[in-house]
Amino acid sequence: MIVLNEISKRYGRVRANDSIGLTLEPGRIYALVGENGAGKSTLMRILAGHTVPDSGTITVHGQSHSRLTPALAASLGVGMLYQDPLDFPALQVWENFRLGGTSRTRAQVVDKLGELSNHLGVCFLPDEPIASMTVGERQLLELLRLLDLGATTLILDEPTTGITPEQKRNLFGLLTRLAREENHTVVLVTHKLSEALEMADAIFVMRQGRLTARLSTPCGEDELVRLMFGEAVERAGEIPAVASPGNRRLGLEAATFAGPKYHLGPLNLSAAPGEMIGLAGLDGSGQELFLRGLCGLDRLAEGSLLLDGRTFASNDFKTLHKAGVHFVPADRMSQALFPDLSIREHILLAFPGQAGRLEDFRREQCEERFNLRAHPDTPAKSLSGGNQQRLLLSLIPENAPLLLMEHPTRGLDAGSARQVWEHLRERCRTGATLFFFSPDLDEVMEHSHRVLVFYDRMLVADVPRAQATVETLGALMAGKNPEAWNAA
Amino acid sequence: MPRNLWLERILWILAAPLLALALTVLVALPSGAPPLETLRILVLGGLGSMTKFGQVLTVFVPLMLCSAGLLIPFTARLWNIGIEGQVVLGAIFCTGTLMPVDQGGPWHIALALAAGMLGGALWALLAGVLKTWGRVHEIFSGLGLNFVAMGLTIWLIFGPWKRPGVASMSGTAPFDPSLWLDRMGRLASSWTALALACAGLALVAWLLLRTQWGLGLKAVGQNPKAARLFDLSPRRRMLQAFALCGALGGLAGAVQVLGVYHRLLPSISSGYGYTALLVGMMASFRILPVPFICFFFAVLNVGSIQLPLQLNLDSSLSGVIQGLMVLSVFITQGLRSWLIRRREGC
Repeated sequence: MIVLNEISKRYGRVRANDSIGLTLEPGRIYALVGENGAGKSTLMRILAGHTVPDSGTITVHGQSHSRLTPALAASLGVGMLYQDPLDFPALQVWENFRLGGTSRTRAQVVDKLGELSNHLGVCFLPDEPIASMTVGERQLLELLRLLDLGATTLILDEPTTGITPEQKRNLFGLLTRLAREENHTVVLVTHKLSEALEMADAIFVMRQGRLTARLSTPCGEDELVRLMFGEAVERAGEIPAVASPGNRRLGLEAATFAGPKYHLGPLNLSAAPGEMIGLAGLDGSGQELFLRGLCGLDRLAEGSLLLDGRTFASNDFKTLHKAGVHFVPADRMSQALFPDLSIREHILLAFPGQAGRLEDFRREQCEERFNLRAHPDTPAKSLSGGNQQRLLLSLIPENAPLLLMEHPTRGLDAGSARQVWEHLRERCRTGATLFFFSPDLDEVMEHSHRVLVFYDRMLVADVPRAQATVETLGALMAGKNPEAWNAA
Repeated sequence: MPRNLWLERILWILAAPLLALALTVLVALPSGAPPLETLRILVLGGLGSMTKFGQVLTVFVPLMLCSAGLLIPFTARLWNIGIEGQVVLGAIFCTGTLMPVDQGGPWHIALALAAGMLGGALWALLAGVLKTWGRVHEIFSGLGLNFVAMGLTIWLIFGPWKRPGVASMSGTAPFDPSLWLDRMGRLASSWTALALACAGLALVAWLLLRTQWGLGLKAVGQNPKAARLFDLSPRRRMLQAFALCGALGGLAGAVQVLGVYHRLLPSISSGYGYTALLVGMMASFRILPVPFICFFFAVLNVGSIQLPLQLNLDSSLSGVIQGLMVLSVFITQGLRSWLIRRREGC
């Protein structure tokens, strides 16, 4: 049994954790839910020994500690599985499995891995390199490694991001077995309420650094939402209709994109002004190359690209950028922003023509249109995720015809995410065409007129909104019966 | 800012020279040198008379040109370690331009200075092209090109440009005095050279702090991937940064030829390129401290000549002190940020 008592942690003026107390019992599954920035991760990092709390105690097996180290936490049986598995892609399965444990020979490691896999009903090839495995498989391996190290309390941080519905079912089945049969404690950190309700025996709700509620399931989703956000979040309304579906904003004709690792194509596709097109696919299925190819970051090897009646035989980034194609990558800080440059400098870089009236222009762009109220001299690295995304959106000219967004709401809380979607819808209502990718299928379905599904570096299906359900898309993402759909 | 914060800041700034002083004493003691006497000789050896001050200025000029130049690639997070070779190439181009001329005037000198800048810029572009198109890190290519430049000088001095009759390490035949830079009275330095150094620093400061180009370069240094998305042509900008830095380095080489030695020598750069890297590091690549550090290093350089004469110490002690200064700055900065992190408790 683990008891957290009066745990507090401040970062500067922010109270990430404000005297939190909770008890974790063996054999039970808990869910820890809350908005981004509610303090879930901080709390779990304290439990896993990665963060030192300012005050409070952690009592494990009757022994009280004021702080844990990762080694101590591991010896007490606490293991944490991160959203991006902390493994080493260059190593093989068995090498990764051995990490952190006692030194053993390859044969011993393989035996142990086989024994655990067999016991839990999964399968690994010891010599397969991690780099060729899916996120779901890597997660399972990481889980096995933690169990091998003697973990009896498993913390999983957003484990279902980037895995197929089927892999999710397997993972949840495994977790349930571990809790029910082996008396392990499982803590699921998530923002997906459906998962919390489906899996957990008890749900902890965090809000602004405080533990606001402990609910026993079953309980109502509405109540949970109210506890998490303070007020019920209204779902965004129906997406705007496409004004003139016959018009052609973008066309691909037998286009093949060549990325650094693989090719994608030939693709045949067209999109109308105002259309919102979601991309679905597991990591590495081709959607990344699709977006990068459309904006000219990766080469158009064959075929042609049509934009507003102009035919491009090559997709030069500069030319497309001038024609109004804008790409916003998912990893904003490492790919799209300059960490030490200020908001003002970003605006100046994106709109050199406005240098004369920079301050007025910035106010119009950032504050009036996007409610980005940070001081103009704030460096980008000090902005919250929501403000970073607002800044990036405000750097796209108003009349840009084609927007390409990789996971537009990554790392954003519900309020910011809604604002981003309202903004994107407004752009599409006024004629922009949007292609976006999100690992969250619900988000893809909610905001798309149609969904392009990628599997194994191919565009396998073009699913209209009406038919886009979790089951259909999930099956297509896993490579099942694509024949039924008119693939490009 | 509250007063005690100012005080703290000043104390931190003072901490670095104090640490350097302590380390210097530690280094000097085993060799039997009286530490305070050594320091006195170093400073007086550089500033003791007007002649010595003139010599300090002749060191100061190329050092400042190189340091100012290095600020540009560093803004794009590029380590132009090849500056040494760019100085040499500047000297070679400058000498080559004046080779066919027996006598000349200001126009010849201007042309030779420009040729020096061109030579440095081209040599820097070589490292730049290797970096942007060949994926060779600029530190490796720069270092390699430095050796090539050295070899090239020696080949020229002993080969095509050798003095009639004798080829020796003492360099090519001296130029006619009409091709020399002007002198400050009887001092070794030249007004033109000093003016060029100041103009170089001013140009760099203006480019980096006041222009859209400088902002773009900073952006490229911060995040080349994002720079691509902002359509800032990172490659072109990096090449321009290399070329500008090389041009300033080449100018330093040309000043060495026209103002100091009046011919091409095997060690024409005197290691100023490497010293300028130290200056840049010590200034953390900010503009304001650069002229002061350059001047200080120049005093040390000139003063160290007195060490073997008066104390029977090797003159390389000044290099040791310069190195210790830079290390001290790093140590105090590291200590300070460590303390700040600890205070904030992360």
